[in-house]
Amino acid sequence: MHLHVASAYSLRYGTAPPRELAARAADLGMRTLALTDRDGLYGAVKHMLACRDAGVRPVLGVDLAVADPEECASGARPSRRRHPHAEAAHRIVVLADGPRGWASLCRLVSAAHARGERTRPVATRELVGEHADGLVVLLGPASDVGRAVAERDRDLAAARLAAWRAAAETVIEIVDHQGPGDGFRAARMLALAREAGVPAVLGNAVRYLDKADHPVAQVLDAARRPAPLHRRHLDDTTGQAYLKPIPQMRRVAELACGADAADELMAVTLRLGDRCALDSPADLGMGALHLPDVAGDAQALLAARCREGLARRGLERSTRAADRLADELGVIARKGLAAYFLTVADAAALIRGRGIRCAIRGSGAGSLVNYLLGIGDLDPLRHDLLMERFLADSRPGLPDIDLDVESARRLEAYEALFDRFGRGNTACVSMMETYRARSAIRDVGNAIGLPPQEIDAIAKAFPHIRARQIHAALHDLPELRQSNLSQGRLEVLFRIAERLDGLPRHIAMHPCGVLLSNRTLRDRSPIETSMLGFPMSQFDKDDVEAMGMLKLDVIGVRMQSAMAHAVAEIARVEGTRIDLEAVPRDDPATYELIRSSRTLGCFQIESPGQRELLGKLQPRNLDDLVIDISLFRPGPVNSDMITPFLEARHGRRAPSFPHPDLAGALGENQGVVVFHEQVLRVLDVMTGCGLSQAERVRRALGDQEGQREAAAWFRAAALARGYDEDVVERVWRTLTAFGAFGFCKAHAASFALPTYQSAWLKRHHTAAFYAGVLTHDPGMYPKRAILDDARHFGVPILPLDVNRSAAEWRVEPVRPGGRQGGRPGGYGIRVPLNEVRGISAAEVSRIVEHRPYDSLGDFWHRAGVSRPTAERLVLAGAFDALYDLRPAAAPAPAPAAVGAGAPTAPAGDRALGAPAPAGRRAALNRRDLLCRVGALDRAVSRPSDGLIEGQLPLGHDQAEGGLGVVEHIPVGQLPDMTPAEVVEAELDILGMDVSRHVLSFYDEMLDGLGVVRSGALAALPDGDDVLVAGVKVATQTPAVRSGQRIIFATLDDATGPVDLTFFESVQDRCAAILFSSWLLVARGRVRRAPAGRRPASLTAYACWDLVGLYEAWQRGGPAAVHEAMAREGRNVASSRQVGRRIVYANGFALSPYADIGHAGGDVKRPPARLWHASGGSSGPTL
Amino acid sequence: MTRVFGDPVEVWVSDGRPARFVWRGRLYTVRRILEHWVTTRDWWREQQPEADVTGEREFWRVEATPDREIGVYELRYDAASGDWMLSRVWD
Repeated sequence: MHLHVASAYSLRYGTAPPRELAARAADLGMRTLALTDRDGLYGAVKHMLACRDAGVRPVLGVDLAVADPEECASGARPSRRRHPHAEAAHRIVVLADGPRGWASLCRLVSAAHARGERTRPVATRELVGEHADGLVVLLGPASDVGRAVAERDRDLAAARLAAWRAAAETVIEIVDHQGPGDGFRAARMLALAREAGVPAVLGNAVRYLDKADHPVAQVLDAARRPAPLHRRHLDDTTGQAYLKPIPQMRRVAELACGADAADELMAVTLRLGDRCALDSPADLGMGALHLPDVAGDAQALLAARCREGLARRGLERSTRAADRLADELGVIARKGLAAYFLTVADAAALIRGRGIRCAIRGSGAGSLVNYLLGIGDLDPLRHDLLMERFLADSRPGLPDIDLDVESARRLEAYEALFDRFGRGNTACVSMMETYRARSAIRDVGNAIGLPPQEIDAIAKAFPHIRARQIHAALHDLPELRQSNLSQGRLEVLFRIAERLDGLPRHIAMHPCGVLLSNRTLRDRSPIETSMLGFPMSQFDKDDVEAMGMLKLDVIGVRMQSAMAHAVAEIARVEGTRIDLEAVPRDDPATYELIRSSRTLGCFQIESPGQRELLGKLQPRNLDDLVIDISLFRPGPVNSDMITPFLEARHGRRAPSFPHPDLAGALGENQGVVVFHEQVLRVLDVMTGCGLSQAERVRRALGDQEGQREAAAWFRAAALARGYDEDVVERVWRTLTAFGAFGFCKAHAASFALPTYQSAWLKRHHTAAFYAGVLTHDPGMYPKRAILDDARHFGVPILPLDVNRSAAEWRVEPVRPGGRQGGRPGGYGIRVPLNEVRGISAAEVSRIVEHRPYDSLGDFWHRAGVSRPTAERLVLAGAFDALYDLRPAAAPAPAPAAVGAGAPTAPAGDRALGAPAPAGRRAALNRRDLLCRVGALDRAVSRPSDGLIEGQLPLGHDQAEGGLGVVEHIPVGQLPDMTPAEVVEAELDILGMDVSRHVLSFYDEMLDGLGVVRSGALAALPDGDDVLVAGVKVATQTPAVRSGQRIIFATLDDATGPVDLTFFESVQDRCAAILFSSWLLVARGRVRRAPAGRRPASLTAYACWDLVGLYEAWQRGGPAAVHEAMAREGRNVASSRQVGRRIVYANGFALSPYADIGHAGGDVKRPPARLWHASGGSSGPTL
Repeated sequence: MTRVFGDPVEVWVSDGRPARFVWRGRLYTVRRILEHWVTTRDWWREQQPEADVTGEREFWRVEATPDREIGVYELRYDAASGDWMLSRVWD
């Protein structure tokens, strides 16, 4: 019935998901339902599937902006500059009639996007005419014809209608939203159609499901413009654009045009819907493969390439490999996928050919073909990986091969693919960014006219939850309960924000998916241009899968970039070329490092939970790492697979097998099911069904119904093979309890490789490893935590220096014999220019290009940086070496503050934080240089003041006399920066404390309070009550077995990490402070497990903001601090549960707030106003 | 000439349309519906809008007559409260 319907995929316009529209249409007894989203076909595939499920015949179309005919005539392009948010002049609806129409529709939408600006496609009548094959144009009130009718210009309306009819099949669309005058205009529109002999249909320009949804549409109208909510800014002021039932549609038509006309309109509308209905998925090109063209017989070519691979991998004499290869090639032949594998192999070789690191990830690592073609580097036979988890006759759909590439060069990899396969045959996959709590609060807040600062504060008070969780979170979360947000004042804001939940708001490039196809791609998918200029399909990854399109996931992995950077640094500094893939995978020193849990910065194993698990598991080889990675997931943690596994592993419990036959399948993990592959093997052993069938059954375990059917099948088959009932029951219980949560071993194995490689680099090329990790920032910790870890590993941190710092972190040899005692031949890492806040890429490259510099003036004239950048460089110490400045004249660091024997500065270079040599005259300091930057800036902006081009009046010397040319700036008049100011400047400019640990300024108070340091915690007995302090480096709320929302926090206290656990019972008291403070003091009980050497962690029950306590300390000494601590700790612990648990079928529970980003800003950078959180504090002084 | 009122009126509805109404003690019979339109409430300006009440307003511009003389009247219906009001009169 409805031919003009916008779903939520009309961005910031529609509100209803396609599935709900289709279901409602079915409820209302409608035969057909069109989806005509604005500007694109983003919801088309979802609409097809939803209609199929609802039993409604789908029609597809688009609601397109059309340029003003007069503007077109003059050849002018629509200009955004005229009005940044001007809505399009006119809009038409274009429906596809049959498969030809679908192809035309895709191409028309692509062409409109190519013609308009990004995200603002604009068609023209001519463009529609060029793609008219199989299209029907609907001209409603928003069309140029409709506008002329509204303006009572009959001649113009008739002329425009005639022009449309010359371009394409045209129908008049009558829409009456019952605004003032709508009915009259509808009647005039119908009269025009009758005069011209054009069919007229009835539409409702639907944009929401129910009448009651109109406030959401109105908020979207305001957000789209953007403008505050006001009648004159709204498209919808009547609340009538809902999916109206047929009788109401008829009634509206009757009111406007009379009963007879209403009946006829209804009949014509239904006829057009029936005619355009796309009943078969094949109409859209679904169900057929459209692989890139391969010259010749693809299957024969693939077989030949695999045979070559056997020889290259040294497997030509292995019968196991030959059998496995024959199996895999058989499946590939039956599925007709040979061209797919050749294409992916081609793509991987192409990427590697550009010198980009590339590794396979996921189930694809289980395929021997992938190994032989060189797509992956893991031997599936050696690691016992199965192909069936990846590719089997029983697996529907296309296999997924994922390639991990260096994140910094991902786009380069894309370019390679587009070049090779052609821009017409290749496209990126898109994804919709949807409204979540914070974004919804921002848009609604703006619409209802709240002040921007208030909106920002409200939005940031929420963790990264879904919009629909707003009210629940206000009620559940202690950090929000204690705010004043839940007091009803903002009720309208929250209620409307919740209703934006999940609505798409932006289209973006999917982070990894690339479609590889042939020339027909553009007949099957609308293409627009991504922000980065790549052709991008309007389909998301689910659509692409439903369409049967071949997608290759090329995933940018920061760790791959970090490792590439490390390897490049090793080559640059040492001249050694390292092939990480060729490094032996059994290096004992590397596993020793991993077992020590000192794995910050390593891939996959750096989180507090992982470090704890490493301590318990004590991995000895790559297979152990595979198990470790598989175990550290919500599923296994939830179902407590870890405890029995560890007990068996450490010999405290004999491995138990339900039946001796299963020793082979379960032996590797002491009888515990960890991997999907084991589930397959168990099913195969007990029923003899074969691995392909077993994979089908494993997938069925995911839902309740599938599980019931699979259980019946399994019992019958296993009993028939002679297993007794007890064994069958036990095995089935194991499979259902653990199996659905198991992990694909191939996936874990492909992760384990970079995990090992990163640990190997950390162990053997420590400085280069940190240079890589700091440059590409792959992990969860702030850089300052990584920097601190580097200090503990004895890697000197070399300060920022205009003459030495590169764009990125670099390794520098540290001369042996220096007073800091760096390892002979050791290496340090140099703080790079890129870390300076606000510096531009152009400035960085100019600085590097023109050095060396012999003075500040020289630098100012030749490097050409902005004044703020120059000032930041000075304040961060980038000129210290040039002028031999020695700021931060602090007493030697407290013994506890630096790891034993760990050098903190390079030999030969001046030590940061080291005392100035005695007898040095009080001379130039950073503040003097800062003054000079100002003078230089003034001098250059007044070039006539006696300055000759090329003359360098400032600098070249440190003598005061040389400064007088422009302004006389006496040296030594300004006080030097205190160590605290130096660190504050570093945190502000570089985001990290380089010269000394920020906590060291509080040592006196912390020692006075008896705070225990990380290094000393390990020696304390279980249950000891202690006070700890540090910089917050991470907070996490992972899924845990009990379903509690547990907050894990990691503090860095200059001697190492302190891991804290806050249970729900203490969160009323602690959560708000924990999330809002950067420097923390916490009290808790030491918790240590009996096994392992892992560092102890703390069950915390109180915490305080360190800065607040320090203010008390300065005011009134220890007594005042104790009083402040007692005051804040007085809240009684409540045992209130945080949120309703989500309980799974197997009885395990999950907190609704597990694994979400916490409230407040990013923990990766220190807050802007570090030491001035509350008024009156002047920061620590020494 | 137009006159603006805000008087409550009693309205009889038939087939979804106003058929008769009583204003200031006189009975008016609706002869013809000239126009009908709808507007939503400015919910964002209200302090404590009721949760799920959409509260649109319906306007009917009708020709009606108490006796022989025909006038044009604008009736307003508030869906939230169910009240009718005579908003304007042309006579």
